[in-house]
Amino acid sequence: MNPAVHMDGITKRFPGVVANDDVDLAVERGSVHALLGENGAGKTTLMNVLYGLYEPTEGTVFLDGEPQSFRSPRDAIDAGVGMIHQHFMLVDPMTVWENVVLGNEPKTWGGLRVDREAAREAVVDLSERYGFDVDPDARIEDVSVGVQQRVEILKALYRGADVLILDEPTAVLTPQEVEDLYGVFEELTDQGKTIIFISHKLGEALSAADEITVLRDGVNVGTVASEDVTREELAEMMVGREVLMEPATTPQEPGERVLEATDVRAEDDRGVEAVSGISFEVRAGEVFGIAGVDGNGQSQLVEAITGMREPTDGSITYLGEPMAGESRREHIDRGMAFIPEDRQERGLVMSYDLTENGILGSQHDPPFAEGGRLDWRASRDHAESVIEQYDVRPPNADAEAESLSGGNQQKFIVGREFERDPELVVAMHPTRGVDIGSTEFLHDRLLELRAEGKAVLLVSSKLDEVQGLSDRLAVIHDGEFTGVVDPATVTEEEIGLLMAGETLDGDSVEGAAVHDAVGEAEAAGTDDGDAGVDA
Amino acid sequence: MSRSDAGSDDAGESDRLPSIARRVVAPFVDRTVAERLVISVAAILLSIVVGFAIVLVSGRVAQCGTAAWTMPLTGIGFCYDPVEVYLVLFNGALGYPFAVGEPGLFNPNWTPFNLSLGLTLSETTLLIFTGLSVAVAFRAGLFNIGTQGQLVVGALATALTVLAAAPFLPEGPVAGVALIVVGTLAGAVGGGFWGAIPGALKAYADANEVITTIMLNFIAANIAYVLVLEVFRAEGSSVVATEYVPEHARFLPWFFPESSDFALLALLVGFGFIGGLYYLVEHTSFGYDLRTSGVQAAAAEYGGVNAKATTVRAMTLSGAIGGVGGAVWVLMSEGRWLESVPALGFDGITVSILAGNNPLGVLPAAFLFGLLKGGALEIGFRTDVPTELVGVLRGLIILFVAMPEFFRMAGRYAGLGSRGPRGPDAGGSGETEPADDAAAVEGGEADA
Amino acid sequence: MRNPLADVSIPVLDDLVESDYVRSLIVGTVGVLGALLVLGTLFPDSVAGDLSGIVFSTSTAASTARLAAPIVLAGLGGIFAEKSGVINIGLEGLLIISAFASVYVASVVGIGNAVLGVPAIWVGFLAGIAASTALAAVFGIVCIEFKADQIIAGLAVWLIALGLAPFMSTVFFGGVNTPNLGARVSWRYSAVMVVVATLASWWALNRTAFGKHLRAAGENPKALDTVGVSVSKVRHAGVLLSGVLSGVGGSALALSIGQFVGSGETMVQGKGFIAIVAYLFGNYNPLGTLGAGVLFAGLDAIQIRLQQLGYAIPDTLVQTIPYVVVILVLALVGRTRLPEAAGEHYETED
Repeated sequence: MNPAVHMDGITKRFPGVVANDDVDLAVERGSVHALLGENGAGKTTLMNVLYGLYEPTEGTVFLDGEPQSFRSPRDAIDAGVGMIHQHFMLVDPMTVWENVVLGNEPKTWGGLRVDREAAREAVVDLSERYGFDVDPDARIEDVSVGVQQRVEILKALYRGADVLILDEPTAVLTPQEVEDLYGVFEELTDQGKTIIFISHKLGEALSAADEITVLRDGVNVGTVASEDVTREELAEMMVGREVLMEPATTPQEPGERVLEATDVRAEDDRGVEAVSGISFEVRAGEVFGIAGVDGNGQSQLVEAITGMREPTDGSITYLGEPMAGESRREHIDRGMAFIPEDRQERGLVMSYDLTENGILGSQHDPPFAEGGRLDWRASRDHAESVIEQYDVRPPNADAEAESLSGGNQQKFIVGREFERDPELVVAMHPTRGVDIGSTEFLHDRLLELRAEGKAVLLVSSKLDEVQGLSDRLAVIHDGEFTGVVDPATVTEEEIGLLMAGETLDGDSVEGAAVHDAVGEAEAAGTDDGDAGVDA
Repeated sequence: MSRSDAGSDDAGESDRLPSIARRVVAPFVDRTVAERLVISVAAILLSIVVGFAIVLVSGRVAQCGTAAWTMPLTGIGFCYDPVEVYLVLFNGALGYPFAVGEPGLFNPNWTPFNLSLGLTLSETTLLIFTGLSVAVAFRAGLFNIGTQGQLVVGALATALTVLAAAPFLPEGPVAGVALIVVGTLAGAVGGGFWGAIPGALKAYADANEVITTIMLNFIAANIAYVLVLEVFRAEGSSVVATEYVPEHARFLPWFFPESSDFALLALLVGFGFIGGLYYLVEHTSFGYDLRTSGVQAAAAEYGGVNAKATTVRAMTLSGAIGGVGGAVWVLMSEGRWLESVPALGFDGITVSILAGNNPLGVLPAAFLFGLLKGGALEIGFRTDVPTELVGVLRGLIILFVAMPEFFRMAGRYAGLGSRGPRGPDAGGSGETEPADDAAAVEGGEADA
Repeated sequence: MRNPLADVSIPVLDDLVESDYVRSLIVGTVGVLGALLVLGTLFPDSVAGDLSGIVFSTSTAASTARLAAPIVLAGLGGIFAEKSGVINIGLEGLLIISAFASVYVASVVGIGNAVLGVPAIWVGFLAGIAASTALAAVFGIVCIEFKADQIIAGLAVWLIALGLAPFMSTVFFGGVNTPNLGARVSWRYSAVMVVVATLASWWALNRTAFGKHLRAAGENPKALDTVGVSVSKVRHAGVLLSGVLSGVGGSALALSIGQFVGSGETMVQGKGFIAIVAYLFGNYNPLGTLGAGVLFAGLDAIQIRLQQLGYAIPDTLVQTIPYVVVILVLALVGRTRLPEAAGEHYETED
């Protein structure tokens, strides 16, 4: 029997990038298949090919053995493929049934009236058949994210989908909703539907999927049955056996406390708690690393620390002064540098040239401003010195930020922030999208800052980077630290487990982790030795 | 990139000048600004062409004895001569510096201090202020449709303040200067207050400024009208108006005929405002905050800009400039506040859009609309074509300026076959931009 | 803090109007009118008596209908455009152009003549609708295809009409005001058209598939696009409907007098902007828009009558009430929420 979905030798190239390289994927009818990989591994691209959003550069998609050539999602929908995007495509002020039938409304009165009764009934029938608990008359804006997701699934089913693609379906769900979703998967597959879901979370792939395909750098690393594989093996497949950087850190005695966070809680833009009570401290002359899979609260934690987001609870102390709730301006003025993750949204004003971008954040401070007047000469000199020191190309202070490549944009931001002469550098994914040579260069600069006695908070999803640079390494999962470890001795598997939400000694997540983060530093501070390294 | 070399070579005194010059020239050299310029000029030309067609068509349906213009080849007669209309429009607005129907290009009797040019410059002066007012808000990412209301309030504040203060000062030039300064300040305060309202509503109540400023326009007009009608109406006046402010407290016409309502000094003040605002936007920390909020709010927040405060400040400043426009209207044009304030605020939107919201661009844009105004009167005198044509042209220019995508498409279409003849800015910018975007997106994808 | 008026339950109304806010608006208006009627009957010699006499007189009803027609109809049109995601601030321009075109065509046909059996005045009416729809089509193309800024393009539509109508009037009639046709459309027609258009709009928005698509295009165009409905087609339809409805309003305004007045702000005198106020005030509900439009027009009509009776009320202040109310509503209640994607361009994925 033919598999429900067979993607044969799919290659998808974008100018300068190979997103998928000769990927094969076969999914049996009535099974749940997880597509696992780090961000940028090519999972979403592959699914967009299946859903007709992209046409593959090479390779063919087969459904039930029939070759398909989708030109648009419309074709894919007609062929029975439905996709539930990470960001739901729902109309908030409309009701559940209105959303489900949108675009395919049953009509009466010669098309002058939507047949509400028929539409509602169809929705009720579908949700009863698959055991969904959904009120057809509720407005989308009034129901939980979990229910919204089910409405999306109903939408696909209403249009006759046999194959359902879910992009990061658990990213926005609470643990209970995740359990419910797994239940939905079972109902669906029992009735012959096929499910493919994209994930970067090991645990979720293991518990929900029958088979798991791991992608790395656009290549299919392997497809395994979830029963036959361990967490550690999966982690290895995902991360790969990359050459680990030799820890370049030389033992160094950490100085005084620069940043102290206690029980920090913060919400994301939707008002869902993203940081659930995190405590740690960063001392002068140390790099404190935070590792974790994207979307586990790192962004909100960093925003709370840098003054971009007001924490809902807890205290943040910087150089002995309470900072929680202070303005962003105050944070900048007190010498906190911040390399944001979204350089094209925040880090740079894309339509400004580098001279103008060089003073972003310092536009009120000497030497760039005196008495409210900007000194473009000094700004220009500053931009040029950053360009030179950080090897930004093209070396032209008049170039608009948007004309630079991603890597050069990043180098410019890093340079600007480091040259602020900060006491603390908060660096989020500082080397993302930066070529290898520049990455090493940036790493060296980070370590130089550390040697100068500055404090560094480094957040990265690149394991080798955080492991190689940090003096202490915290692992974040679901808004909490699952552990704080010594990067010199911890194994990759151990980090993998922590990233998946497990603890190393079987302790419950809370308590132990929180205690670790502060306790260890306490030890480092009181002991005279190089506690930061051999703890 | 040759431009960078001027500044990046060894630092020295000789270096300073090119650097400053570069800053001044940069907005015009930048690709986006150049593109705006091209689009603005193209929009003007296109609206002139459409206006040409409108004149022809209406000339066909209108009744007249003899044809004013006969179309070559076809021999169809038209009542209106579109070429003449435009000649009268632009030549007349300047007071006919170019000879009409006589040998020689120039009119020997022309002096710059004629009535028509005075009217043109009077309108230009007023539009400079309202154009700047709209432009400042635009740069902060705010759409201030309320300059009209801010001008009305500012004008009333000016008139009332000057009328109240005049009796306390002895007549004379010193008192005149003092009254003008105080009156202008009052206008700025009044307009600034009226602009701060939608600013605060936007910042703290999240009320859309487009809607609130439209509403506030009507409210300002009505309240000012009732106030003057019931309280401040000049005795024996047939229209709803305040008393005239004393002669010495007005901008004097100097070289121009008095009936032109134009004062060179006011225009110079306008120049000052253009320069000052350009400096403020481009060379101060406040201007940096303002611009950054306008183009990329998230980056501004990252750079420590207080979004709410910037919104209120920008709207207050915008209103204050509109209010100064009102002050100039009272002290230069009318000599008093009176009902049916001309739609200078709305024209300010047009001016600002045409200027690409660049303070320096406001000058040519305001002058163009000044020309249209001055020329409209001449059209009325010299041709049979209704002067309302100018209103149509104004609307068309705005419509065309509002659709840059149309010109980009046209540019791309025209640039498809031949790359040679078109300048790098005209065809090139349209073509290269999507490529740049793609590169940026691609970079983003590769990172993720 | 709950609005007590919102708790009043009226079966039919509850079904038609989902929003508590609009419901309380309607209940409140009816309540005030009722109280006025009772007071006026009990004390015929008081101010309330005079007021009641005015409010419930036929001539007030006539002038209210005449004044309300352009406001309500353009407001309804505005709902269609804005719900689809295109803010049409050029309603004023659409009213102006249709007001002129209707009178012009009616005079060209000549009162007393007919085309295909349709009397001249109604030919003019249709011509007004056609002119407004054509201008709306231009606006739609500029906004949707050429991605123009909707606010600027809307202002341009207003300015073009503001120049073009008096220009044409001068070309054809030698002055910005047209001569009077000597015939007019009775206010009763206006009243019927307003009511029919309101109910039809309500039905179209709330009961048809098109209405659902319109809402989706304005709230989350991507959701509509991904289910295979063309967002730009839906938006074009919304904008065209705003042209049709404004055309009816503008024609009704001019033909109810039999003349186009083109001086100053023309005879439309900001009614297009009041229409925006009306639909915002009515929270995008046609019935609420009708209520708000009638309320504003009624205030105006009553005020005119009161002055005729010798009450010295500054008319301008009465006219200011709607604007102040909108700002208060926006600032304090925050009820009027623009469609999520209004004002934004939408580009399809592929």
